[in-house]
Amino acid sequence: MILRTPAPKRARPIEPAPIIESPPVGSDHRQLAIYEDPSSAGPARREPSQQSEHMLCTYQCRQMVKADFLDALSNAEKQVQDYQSKLAELNDNFGKADEERKTFREKLSYVEQELAAAKGREQALHDQLLKEVNDSHERLKKELELSAKLQAKLENEQNLRKKAESTAAAAEDKAKELEAKLGHISKSIEKEKKRFNNELAQLNRDSKFSITKITVDLEKMEFRAKSSEQEVELLRKQQEDLQSKFSECLHQKSELEKRLTSLSFEDDSPKESDILVKHLQEELRNYESEVREARKLKSAHDSIELMKEKLLEEKSRRERVELQLPKLQEYELKINKLEDELSAWKLMIQDIPGVSCCDDVPLRISALQKEVIDNLKKLGEVNAHLKQMQVVLDKTQLDKQKTETEAALAKEKADRLEAEVKRMNLMLSAVSEERNMLKIAIEDFKSKNEQAGGHASSSALQELESSLLKREPYIKELEGDLFAQKDINTRQQDEIKSLHDRLNSEARKVKSLERESDRLRSEIFLLESKLGHGDFSAANTKVLRMVNTLAVGNDAKQTIEALQSELQRTKEKLQALEEYKSQSGNSGKLVDSYMSGKVAQLKEQIATLEKREERYKTVFADRISVFRRACCELFGYKIVMDERQRPNGIPVTRFTLQSIYAMNDDEKLEFEYESGNTNIVENGYTSTSEISQQVDIFVRKMNSIPAFTANLTVESFNRRTLS
Amino acid sequence: MASKTAAKDIITLRGSAAIVSEFFGVVWYSILYNRAVYPEESFARVKKYGLPMLLTKDEGVKSFISNLNAQLSEWLEAGKLQRVVLVIMSMNTGEVLERWNFSIETDNEVVEKGVSREKSDKEIMREIQAIMRQIASSITYLPCLDEQCVFDVLAYTDTDVAVPFTWMESSDAKLIANPQMVKLHSFDTKIHKVNTLVSYKNDEEELDDEE
Repeated sequence: MILRTPAPKRARPIEPAPIIESPPVGSDHRQLAIYEDPSSAGPARREPSQQSEHMLCTYQCRQMVKADFLDALSNAEKQVQDYQSKLAELNDNFGKADEERKTFREKLSYVEQELAAAKGREQALHDQLLKEVNDSHERLKKELELSAKLQAKLENEQNLRKKAESTAAAAEDKAKELEAKLGHISKSIEKEKKRFNNELAQLNRDSKFSITKITVDLEKMEFRAKSSEQEVELLRKQQEDLQSKFSECLHQKSELEKRLTSLSFEDDSPKESDILVKHLQEELRNYESEVREARKLKSAHDSIELMKEKLLEEKSRRERVELQLPKLQEYELKINKLEDELSAWKLMIQDIPGVSCCDDVPLRISALQKEVIDNLKKLGEVNAHLKQMQVVLDKTQLDKQKTETEAALAKEKADRLEAEVKRMNLMLSAVSEERNMLKIAIEDFKSKNEQAGGHASSSALQELESSLLKREPYIKELEGDLFAQKDINTRQQDEIKSLHDRLNSEARKVKSLERESDRLRSEIFLLESKLGHGDFSAANTKVLRMVNTLAVGNDAKQTIEALQSELQRTKEKLQALEEYKSQSGNSGKLVDSYMSGKVAQLKEQIATLEKREERYKTVFADRISVFRRACCELFGYKIVMDERQRPNGIPVTRFTLQSIYAMNDDEKLEFEYESGNTNIVENGYTSTSEISQQVDIFVRKMNSIPAFTANLTVESFNRRTLS
Repeated sequence: MASKTAAKDIITLRGSAAIVSEFFGVVWYSILYNRAVYPEESFARVKKYGLPMLLTKDEGVKSFISNLNAQLSEWLEAGKLQRVVLVIMSMNTGEVLERWNFSIETDNEVVEKGVSREKSDKEIMREIQAIMRQIASSITYLPCLDEQCVFDVLAYTDTDVAVPFTWMESSDAKLIANPQMVKLHSFDTKIHKVNTLVSYKNDEEELDDEE
């Protein structure tokens, strides 16, 4: 519309314009701007003077109001558009929030499932851990008991070991002292060696001097012996002459006595007889003197003989001394060595405590040996205990390894659980953060929806909130369980640490037990060696030995051989003596007496030996006869054994058997025994048809001589009884 | 499985005593031959336990050992035998040079109740073979017996055993002072377990005495 050029506007009186309010966005109540027509307005308002102006004013006002209304309308439309856009945005946001809610719901359900699974796993792990803890507790208890026992043993062994160490230290000290003494002794021995060497040189010189003396004496004696031999020969000749003269004198004496007796009867010429008697008496006296001289010569001769023998002995002695001279030095050296050793041993004996003389040494040694054996026994016992402890240690080590592995597994599980717990915590925190964010978003949305008047999304938000509220206690429970698990894990770790410490201590104990077990093993070895040595307890065991006929037979044979050799030797000696006797003749009466004494002794020995031999022979003969009789009665055959020699020189034993049931003496069986093989010998009896048949069957085919003899015995018995 | 069950043989007390006395019957000869107590030519070769064994031809030794083993078998059946020792001594000096110690552990339950045990004969034979081989190889470490030697056998029994007529109680166990000992294998019939040990005079002591 084309407006006229309006009249210039007058200053409007200030009047309250009709208020036109834009309707709020989204509200259903739309309020219209009511224009009050001033014409229709009450007279109270307007004065009648202003009616024309009023008419103009109303038109302008209308126009103005219209313009304002239009402006307001456009503004309101713009606002409505804005609000509409905002509403669309809010709707989009609401859709997004819905989707997010759904996703969160799904996540929540997933989390719930995971939580349930984690709970189940936790419970299973918890149960496993409890079982393992109970098992480890039981094992620990057992090991504690074992360790208590082992501790007690260990203390005993430590005491024993201390004692053994102290004794070993004392022995070492003694050994050191003895070594020092030995050093001193060796020095003194060297000094004495030098001294003895000097003395030896002196002794050698003295011995040489004495040897030269002895040789000179021997030469003198030889010279004397030669001279005495010559004298002896002369005297012998004289003796022979004198003996002949003596025999003549005796003969004459006997004749004279005869004559004297005959003359005493006649008495014809007493004077001549007296003179004869006187002559004869003088001759007798002469002869008696000569006889005395001859006897003196004879005694001299005997003494010469003795001197000769002494000479021979001294000669032989000289030869022996000469032979033994080269050995003298060796013997002297040996003597020196022995003297040195003796002195050293004497010094040693003086140094050894508890020993006063040589006889005490073996006793002391036996006492020391006993002590050593006791100590070894104790050491062996300790070693055995140690070995036992080692076995226990191995077991505990294995248990330790098992518990360590179990502890490692438990640790791993605890770590895994912790990680899971952490993860779950993180998830929970994330979930709670998302929940909070959702809450905030929901509140914002709520407030915005309240403003916009939206009802549809609030119920969904409330549902979200309710579900979140429901999940909260579960989450709290999970957190509580996690804390409990943490506590359990820390407790288990502490227990594992304590187990480790105990295991280490037990390992140490077990090592000590290993040592004890070694000792016990050595003791076992000692006992086995004692058993092998032949020791036995007289309370449980007695030692029997069979009468060793082989040894007896051997002893008898040996004694017989020895006696026979002695016999031969004595016989040879006797022959030599008799020859010597025949050579020496009457002059050797003293020698004869000496030799005769020896001969008598030897003859006595021979007689005793012969008696012994006869006794052995009779004993053997008795035994053999008893055996033969027994064999005859038991087996029914008289057995005769004799040794023969074959033409080729091989000795063979022949047995002749005659049955006690034989009908005649010709029924004899002959067997030859050679180096373990027995063969039947054919004779007239065995060549008969019956016997030869049996020989073929039993001996040749079946190779059984006892069967043949038994069969023959039965047949001959039957024949005898029937006859 | 059938072959495994058939391999185990039932062993009674009497059977076990027979096995052990048979073992003794062979081991004495083996020791006497290996230690040259009797000359080689007095031994004859036989096969026993799958090995060539040497038995003496000397009738005296044979009868002595057979009587000995008969008595040992009796004591084994009664469960009274604890140990048997073969002692080798010098003929001249009577000094004990070696002791072959066979200790016997008897299962008293079998003796009292008369039950039997099961073990394979082959396994027992194998164990005895091992002992025989060890005895044969003992000459490598045992000292040479240069002098003439004799042997004797001692039986360690329970104190309640009646002494037979041909036996006598000996107070002298013929021990060796400070012996060297070598433990050999053992064999077990599940009723009697025989452990073998040889102790001999320490040769080093002789060398020290000579020095």
